[in-house]
Amino acid sequence: MAATIDDDRLSETFAALANGTRRAILAHLAEGEATVSELAAPFEMTLPAISKHISVLERAGLIVQGKRAQYRPCVLDAAPLEQVSTWAEQYRPVWEARFDRMDSYLKQLRGPSKGRRAR
Amino acid sequence: MIENNSPRDAVVIERTFDAPVDLIWQMWTDPEHFKAWYGPDGASIPTAEMDVRVGGRRLVSMEVQSPGGPMQMWFTGEYREVVPNEHLVYTESMSDENGNVAPGLAEGHPETTEVRVELLEVGGRTRMVMTHSGVPADSPGAAGWAMAFKKLAAHVETHLLR
Repeated sequence: MAATIDDDRLSETFAALANGTRRAILAHLAEGEATVSELAAPFEMTLPAISKHISVLERAGLIVQGKRAQYRPCVLDAAPLEQVSTWAEQYRPVWEARFDRMDSYLKQLRGPSKGRRAR
Repeated sequence: MIENNSPRDAVVIERTFDAPVDLIWQMWTDPEHFKAWYGPDGASIPTAEMDVRVGGRRLVSMEVQSPGGPMQMWFTGEYREVVPNEHLVYTESMSDENGNVAPGLAEGHPETTEVRVELLEVGGRTRMVMTHSGVPADSPGAAGWAMAFKKLAAHVETHLLR
């Protein structure tokens, strides 16, 4: 169940996502493929600037740019984020540690005289 | 309630504590008790504001020591179900110190997880089932991706806490 997380790849994914423009590009692509100029339209940026962002996303494996025609539509690739979706498993040890502390705290509250707890 | 069937999308932990159910309820709902265990290790909980009623707000801060000095993180949420000594459901999102949810990817899709605590007293002991899950997106597509980014944020956060 707990998939092994490739840390290098995750770092690359995080770095790619640590930018508002790139996240907006991904959000756009979540609705379907788009060409570079379609992706650039909402931004006040030059096409080369947008292309740079797209290359970062491409290197991180988050998008694939088509090879066909000169439109070369970009498509979202979910695979790197599938790893991220093991977030719940990342949380498990955090919760387990919390409940260990809750257990010791309860023992502490109950004091040394086991069996005679104040209610 | 919505069942989340994907084991990758939720943490489910079952524990039995040698304490009566009302005390376990207080562990979650009384700020002083809550601060004592919520942790995580090496972190303290300077703030725990809990308006424990349906629709009531919660605001929790966590302070961790980082090389650059103490670092505070804030979490806010809302109580969704409050049945004393039985179950408690609240949402949780990263926020600022005023409880404004940190801006998400898609507007209208708050970056939220849900914590559900179910309690059952069994012979003076308390069986607790805690489920921490992503709030399911209304639809695939943009909303689904907003969730993916929420999960990402949670992941980053748990790494920061190590």
